[in-house]
Amino acid sequence: MFLNRTEGLALALPAALFTFLVFLVPVGILLSVAFQTDTGVWSLRGYIDFFAQPLNQTVFFRTLKLGILVAGASAVIGYAAAFCIVNLSPTSRGRVFGFVVLPLMISPVARTYAWIVILGRTGIVNDVIVGLGLSSTPIRLLFTETAVFIGLLQLFLPLMIISLVSAMENIPKDVVPAARVLGASWFQVFIRVILPLTKEGLVIGGTLVFTGALTAYITPAILGGSKVLMLETLLYQKVNVSNDFVSASVIAMILIVMCFSANLVLKRIASVKG
Amino acid sequence: MSRLSIWLILGATLTFLIGPFLIVIFAGMSAGEALAFPPQGLSLKWYAKVFTVESFRASFALSMFLAVFGTLAALMIGIPAAYALNRYDLPWSETIRTIVAAPIIVPGIIVGLALLRYFVVPLDVTITMALFVTHTALVLPYAVRVVSSSLNNLRADMEEAAVILGCTRLQAFLKVVLPNIRGGILAAFILGFVTSFNEVPASLFLSGPGVRTLPIDMISYMEITFDPSVAALSALLAFMSVTIVFVAERLLGFSRYV
Amino acid sequence: MSDAFVSLTDLTLKYGSTVAVPKLNLDVAEGELIALLGPSGCGKTTTMRAVAGLLTPASGRIVIDGTDVTRTPANKRGIGLVFQSYALFPHLSAFENVAFGLRLQKLPDAQVRAKTEAGMATVGLSGFEARKPAELSGGQQQRLALARSLVMEPKVLLLDEPLSNLDARLRLEMRNELQRVQKNTGITMVFVTHDQSEALALADRIVLMQDGKIEQLGTPAELYAEPVSAFAADFMGFENIFRVEGTELVSDHGRLSVGFAVGAQLLAWRPSGVEVGTGPHKGRVIGSSFAGGHREYVLESPLGQIKADAPIGTPEVPLGQEVAFDLPQQTARHLAA
Repeated sequence: MFLNRTEGLALALPAALFTFLVFLVPVGILLSVAFQTDTGVWSLRGYIDFFAQPLNQTVFFRTLKLGILVAGASAVIGYAAAFCIVNLSPTSRGRVFGFVVLPLMISPVARTYAWIVILGRTGIVNDVIVGLGLSSTPIRLLFTETAVFIGLLQLFLPLMIISLVSAMENIPKDVVPAARVLGASWFQVFIRVILPLTKEGLVIGGTLVFTGALTAYITPAILGGSKVLMLETLLYQKVNVSNDFVSASVIAMILIVMCFSANLVLKRIASVKG
Repeated sequence: MSRLSIWLILGATLTFLIGPFLIVIFAGMSAGEALAFPPQGLSLKWYAKVFTVESFRASFALSMFLAVFGTLAALMIGIPAAYALNRYDLPWSETIRTIVAAPIIVPGIIVGLALLRYFVVPLDVTITMALFVTHTALVLPYAVRVVSSSLNNLRADMEEAAVILGCTRLQAFLKVVLPNIRGGILAAFILGFVTSFNEVPASLFLSGPGVRTLPIDMISYMEITFDPSVAALSALLAFMSVTIVFVAERLLGFSRYV
Repeated sequence: MSDAFVSLTDLTLKYGSTVAVPKLNLDVAEGELIALLGPSGCGKTTTMRAVAGLLTPASGRIVIDGTDVTRTPANKRGIGLVFQSYALFPHLSAFENVAFGLRLQKLPDAQVRAKTEAGMATVGLSGFEARKPAELSGGQQQRLALARSLVMEPKVLLLDEPLSNLDARLRLEMRNELQRVQKNTGITMVFVTHDQSEALALADRIVLMQDGKIEQLGTPAELYAEPVSAFAADFMGFENIFRVEGTELVSDHGRLSVGFAVGAQLLAWRPSGVEVGTGPHKGRVIGSSFAGGHREYVLESPLGQIKADAPIGTPEVPLGQEVAFDLPQQTARHLAA
């Protein structure tokens, strides 16, 4: 550790100043817009008006619901997958882990586009449905909440698996066999041993997935369209369709507050259990 | 748990994660005019067509420019910052850390809108410049984080040893620190490149007709045309990312740093 | 001292606003091997870092070989430092590690080569030039770090816990190695350690430190036989220390009459100074372990626990049994409070 503070500040300042000026200041101004009326008076009018509209309420609760569902589903799948991965031999563990990480490096547009091919009117799923005679005409699968849910789950599941795998790798080696020898069922092993020892990974993964789902734009835009709006796509519409910057500012604030409180709540849960 | 159930669970998970890509690759190989799976006959015509679409070429060039130079700019200011945060007893170090990490926490679409209204318009910045600044800001947190973790693994007493052997502080950085965090810097560059190249929400409001990043161009294209060219392009992009990451992993164990 | 080679005068060292070392005075003669001994946080490492120039003193002076180096930057001070972690450069070969400082001096290549090879030979690493530090064993890394410092021909060589990262056998080997190097080169060495046996074995003089102050300074024999304070006595293995009130010993647990009056405020015994099997006092054996040349007992007595070593050959007392013991006047060390 070097004690020359001036030198240290000089090194850190360009990055801090850059982010502050081109990032924090504009975002700060944007967030303050909703607290001011046209005449410059501070008020909560923007928020009251925003939540007075049923559509906005629906979108708000839908976003929250999808965020929770996606985080929950990826926790369930994530635990199963992560537990399998850490029980593999080192070589296959590396390979499988590579396949889990791989999608993260690929453009979300490409990742989401795949679901159009699968869920579209002429996609595989409809081919099967019509082919089996379950329906005479293709069913609308795109532009539904289910489509958005599936797209988001596929997008963010790797983040949960990665967090849980690294948490499970830190579990001391013979703890699970020890619990089994002491008479615990697999379910008890999970609840009493694995869960408490991996809760930090769950919290990190959960936060990443939840905030990722809340703030995703591409997936709801492509798979939900204007039929299944989420807060991000609503914000885009407010700006580009109705030029409504007050609502945009309100949505921005809601998104930021949701992300930060997700961080806080999950951190709190983790510390209470411990 | 038995071997069988382990591979069943992993098989299902990987099919869900990777399967759709395989489908996209094949959908792009269609000989027909409309997007469908299984494809109507096989051909590589859509893969070839992608390279002839003028707007794709322009947006690809823009995305490449942003990914390369935005990341380089982020590294130029990010490496000194990471070094200062790791090695110096900084006043307000937590504040600086939070400020620099902020672009990762704030949803991209908000960043784009804020920059458009309160940076681009009032300062009359060009769209390309605005995108460059935005991408630099978005990549900066990754650059600082990856370089930091690389610095963390390098004991500080190594620099002290270099100084005691006669180095100036700058010499110690150049001769001892830099060679040992090279891998981390390269990893930061790759991560930054991929992040920037795939970025959509923040660039959304900053894109206009003629100046679009590739992913945004793809979204607008697929809203108008329902042919397999976007599938072919998606497959090509996926292939590009995978190749970069694979080579990086082989050369320097990329995943250590991320 | 007029013949002081390294001289610290009223040296005050601070971390932020915390004073780690207040007004330290220490003189080291040329060619001396000095140990800075003390528990972690006693200021020994801080003092060493200040001598190396890695920490700027808040006040006071550091003079080396007649030159005031208090404000001289570390890279111009001409001092060697072997780090506890060795701090070898992982990207350079063993040869380039040793040559690092010589190259910075812009010496001709032939000279760098000659000095580096000689340096590596001194520590017995000839033939390992091309290896990377990670390809060397712990003991070899330690010797490489030593060679890297020695080729610079420093006025003073500082060593931070030089033996702590080695296993027991290598430690003994390295101890001899250090003594040999010091004898051959005549270099002034200051090493930091928390291990009193290391300090006793290696040093010409020991500086025992606590809370940034020098608790006692003397030869190993002096410190071993005549610790001046309870802290020094405890550090030097006097594990039984009691207050004195008249003819009674007093501890937090109780009191015990020893039958003789002394002027000191404290009396201390090493475990080897306590007699087991005979004596006026009774204790119950609550711990007993074989230690090669002797057996280590823990006795429950009116004064609380007493550690006593009995020579092998005396009858073994089983756990739980009462035994007579003595705290003899002649093995007691008299201390001021």
